[in-house]
Amino acid sequence: MKPVDFELHRPETLAEALELLAEHGADGKVLAGGQSLIPLLNFRLARPDHVIDLGRIGALRAIRRNTDALVIGAMVTYHQAERSAAVAETAPLVSAALPHVAHQGIRARGTIGGSVAHGDPAAELPAVFSALDATMVAVSRRGTREIAARDFFLANLVTALEEDELLAEIRVAPVPARTGAAFNEVGRRHGDFALAGAGAQLTLTDDATVSSARIALTGVSAKPFRATEAENTLVGQRVDERLWRRAADVVRRDVDPAADLHATADYRRDVAGTIVERALAAAAARALGNRTGSMEATG
Amino acid sequence: MTLQQERPRTGPLSEPERHYLSKPDRVREDRRFVTGKGRYVADLIRPDTLHVALVASPHPHARIGAIDTSAALQVPGVVAVLTGDELAAETEPLRQYLDVPEVQWWPLAVGSTRYAGEWVAAVVADSRAVAEDGAELVVVDYEPLPFVIDPEVAAGKDSPLVHPTHGTNVMADRHFAWGDVAGNRALADRTTTVRTRWNRNSTVPLETFGVIAAWDPHRELLDVWASIQMPQFPEQVAGSLRIPTNQVRVHFDVDVGGSYGVKRGIKHAVLAGFLARRLGRTVALIEDRSENMHGGDFHGPDRIFEVELAYTDKGDITHIRIDVLDDEGAYPGRSPLQLAKPIGAIVGPYRITSAEYHAKAVVTNKTGQVAVRGFGQSPTNYAIEAAVDAVARDLGMDRIELRRRNFIKRDEFPFRIPSGTEYDSGDYETVLEKGIAAADLAALIAERDELRGKGYLAGIGVASCLEPGGGNAIFENIMNPKNDKTTFPEACRIRVDGEGAVTAVISISSAGQAHETMVATLVGEELGISPDRIAVVRADSLSGFPSQSPVGSRMTIVLGQAIHGAAGELKNKLRIIGAHQLGLPVDEVDYRDGAVVSGSNPDVRLSWGELVAIAHRKQHLMPPGMQPGLEMVHVAHTPRSGTLTSPEGTVQLYPTYSFELHLVLAAVDPGTAKVELKRYVVAHDCGTVINPDVVRGMVYGGTAHGIGVALYEQFAFSPEGQPLTSSFMDYLLPSSHEVPRIVDVEHCTPSPYTSHGQKGAGEAGYMGAPAAVASAVNDALNGVGAAPLHSLPIKPSDIWSALRAAEQESS
Ligand SMILES: Cc1cc2nc3c(=O)[nH]c(=O)nc-3n(C[C@H](O)[C@H](O)[C@H](O)COP(=O)(O)OP(=O)(O)OC[C@H]3O[C@@H](n4cnc5c(N)ncnc54)[C@H](O)[C@@H]3O)c2cc1C
Repeated sequence: MKPVDFELHRPETLAEALELLAEHGADGKVLAGGQSLIPLLNFRLARPDHVIDLGRIGALRAIRRNTDALVIGAMVTYHQAERSAAVAETAPLVSAALPHVAHQGIRARGTIGGSVAHGDPAAELPAVFSALDATMVAVSRRGTREIAARDFFLANLVTALEEDELLAEIRVAPVPARTGAAFNEVGRRHGDFALAGAGAQLTLTDDATVSSARIALTGVSAKPFRATEAENTLVGQRVDERLWRRAADVVRRDVDPAADLHATADYRRDVAGTIVERALAAAAARALGNRTGSMEATG
Repeated sequence: MTLQQERPRTGPLSEPERHYLSKPDRVREDRRFVTGKGRYVADLIRPDTLHVALVASPHPHARIGAIDTSAALQVPGVVAVLTGDELAAETEPLRQYLDVPEVQWWPLAVGSTRYAGEWVAAVVADSRAVAEDGAELVVVDYEPLPFVIDPEVAAGKDSPLVHPTHGTNVMADRHFAWGDVAGNRALADRTTTVRTRWNRNSTVPLETFGVIAAWDPHRELLDVWASIQMPQFPEQVAGSLRIPTNQVRVHFDVDVGGSYGVKRGIKHAVLAGFLARRLGRTVALIEDRSENMHGGDFHGPDRIFEVELAYTDKGDITHIRIDVLDDEGAYPGRSPLQLAKPIGAIVGPYRITSAEYHAKAVVTNKTGQVAVRGFGQSPTNYAIEAAVDAVARDLGMDRIELRRRNFIKRDEFPFRIPSGTEYDSGDYETVLEKGIAAADLAALIAERDELRGKGYLAGIGVASCLEPGGGNAIFENIMNPKNDKTTFPEACRIRVDGEGAVTAVISISSAGQAHETMVATLVGEELGISPDRIAVVRADSLSGFPSQSPVGSRMTIVLGQAIHGAAGELKNKLRIIGAHQLGLPVDEVDYRDGAVVSGSNPDVRLSWGELVAIAHRKQHLMPPGMQPGLEMVHVAHTPRSGTLTSPEGTVQLYPTYSFELHLVLAAVDPGTAKVELKRYVVAHDCGTVINPDVVRGMVYGGTAHGIGVALYEQFAFSPEGQPLTSSFMDYLLPSSHEVPRIVDVEHCTPSPYTSHGQKGAGEAGYMGAPAAVASAVNDALNGVGAAPLHSLPIKPSDIWSALRAAEQESS
């Protein structure tokens, strides 16, 4: 379990990193927190000639709030985001999902950008960002591209990033008032990639009618999964337990989980519905308690 | 944790007052482990060492054609590539303990590869990374052959054969019947039969196996440093390498980073030793995690049980039948001997007077199996306890009441079980009562029912199990009558130097069992000297004494016996010196806390310093003919060993029997079918405790290990014969999140057959936890009318399927 010999580059600036990527992108790999890449190197599943470590580029480590978006730098760690009031207020579904990612030790090193760039359908954040219609900002020496989440995750571990591109930041629109979010998952052990995971974010009108619903699922599809059909059954309906159950049944119909050593496909399908139902109920309860949206809260 | 230590009421202990035994005291090994200063084998690698990487078979069964090593040898830094044919030409096959001469096993596959992951070639290079570069470039021609993965298929007539020249996959097939089987069956009103599946798991050590070998051609000596826990290791390495045993020096002063049975490593050491001799260089083979999990031959028992209990309407169990099929993997080696251990505890803690046992071992195209914590006893305990629970369900009887009713009673010891083994001592009812009190059973039941009221599935698990301790080698004779070995000794040297300092010398390595603490405590107790002042060091295999290794929960018992013997001989010598000097007959002086004292007048005495000075320096004061110095080596048999298996198949297996009672409360989320262990109580009796913290550590760790077996751990294979659990992503060890707080209450029923009343504790917790956790899950399922699950590990999807099946049945 020793990696194939490679050359390590440690650029100090983004420009330097882009320069290196332009030169070595085809046979190079970007290193962020290393929580996925280092095992891949050690198993020799990744065999780059060049590894470009982003660890020294401070510019990628910031969380910012613009008027129209929360901007998370690619090198922001899970831990940093977990403790960020800005993330909690403007992107409560991201906040709700973060504690479910791996263990604390891994969250201390693993980065938001690394998770997105890795594009694992079992991972929490790719699914959450899909459900939130987040925008991925890719940069290269050629320029900057803004890529919608739905166009970013192409297949299992495949994204729209080009060889010479870096993921620089992720932009999420802030939530309006009366929004609540919850994340729920079931794994065989604490911290494992979930057998199935579900996140829900609901925005309600003053009379407790669902005006917007977002449902993210992990581990039940070959790509990060957004349960659009289930969301549609909710919008325009009054908050009600039976409603969550109906959405759960739609989820059970729409997901396409695989079987493996850890669980059957039938189990994953059924449990995906169960945890969606629970996430919706919890999200609705929070939305009912949350009269102010994030923009007002930050004033 | 509450630790209740009771003074032994019975037992051979003559000294009423104990100085150090059973008292809370520091565990001396902890300091170096906690500060990260252990010395493990990989810490001993010197800069000029060569490293080995292995080429592993991708096929479960394939004929090996040409092996092209040329590209690998081109890699700068690669020194050599060794194939199985080259190795086999110059070494003896690895030892088989069964009488199966057609089954030939070498460190590298010869002729064909018999499991995916088996080592086919070894690449030696300046660094491990370069060795791996080379290993990738070795090209092997494989011709895939038919293979078998399922042990029941393997046992059948039409199965592909793993070792075709052996003619069958069945390696052992033994039937036993003890006691009045027909009569006891006739006494019963009912029978219940439960089939249980103990899937493959193991102890998975933090440190993988590692070995360093160095050959000195001038001294003609092979030095070996290894991460081992293996009896007869030096002999087997020497035998395979065709060199005299006195040319192999195995160093035991190496910390072993976890084992519980699996650190056998003969094949690794033979391979490294061969390479060291051939290349004239120091060679290190440190497994990486993949090599350890696939090719290290470290998997544990993989069993299918059928347990039948016959019983009366009132719940008196009259007879037990156990059928077991064990999947050894490709090379049986020592692992089938594990099928003999249950014979020594075939009726568990229950007063059952007849038994039938049918044990069958088959080979399959899987990684090899090896001895694991308890030598097969925990799977057997699980199978028995699952059947006892089924009897309770059948009779509508309380599970605890059924057990209490059938327990061997405290005044029935020593108790001879039908297989001829005598249980030494026990007080199962008292331990049960202590467990019930610690768990507050009434509150536990109330909590279960409250959880059920909230919509959870909830269940209480119970298991009462034995830990046979003090392993001797008689299982070798049971499974292979040609092997007439009847002793399995341990030894200790106690030396008092010219300054009066005491050193105890042992010749084993330890894998975290705190032997240094145990030895110092016992020597201190025997001599009346503070254990803090006693040094414990480890000889190597050439300067040491007959010793096996810390397997079979035996060191405290057998090494304890050796310490007792050596200390007795030392005290005797001191008394002779003292009596001579005081002008008294020897039987009129006592040894007391370092001094020799007149029995009638305590003021007439010779101090430690005076005694030591005479023994080392003053021949003129010694009794005539006495050897100078104070050096005592005592080699001890295992207590109660020494007889062969009788023609009727009865045998005394283990000398001591520890007992443990588990009570567990589990909650199951009805939506996700996930299990959460809410409360966990173990009541445990291992006789005299040497160091309470060490015993407590064993109980905690063993229970965690058993929870892993019950809910998480499995080495799984695809139908294509590929390992599915190739890293810790898929082989799931329980973490602190999964293991609840464990409450341990201790009880002490001393053994009458050991030096200080001690019994085995190295398998504590693990003996009963798999059974108890499964029992809790099944009680939860039973609460909603679902059928019990009888296959470990129990996964959420298994519970979910059982719940769906119950729903369908009721609708
Ligand atoms: C034991 C364990 C448990 C885990 N459990 C979970 C879990 O439950 N849920 C979960 O989501 N994840 C889990 N992970 C994975 C973890 O979240 C990873 O940290 C994450 O997937 C990758 O982030 P990273 O910063 O470590 O990226 P790295 O490992 O450094 O990189 C991952 C990949 O992304 C690329 N990359 C990284 N950053 C960029 C960038 N800015 N631009 C372009 N490409 C980039 C790299 O080249 C590489 O291909 C687990 C990991 C471990 C070791």
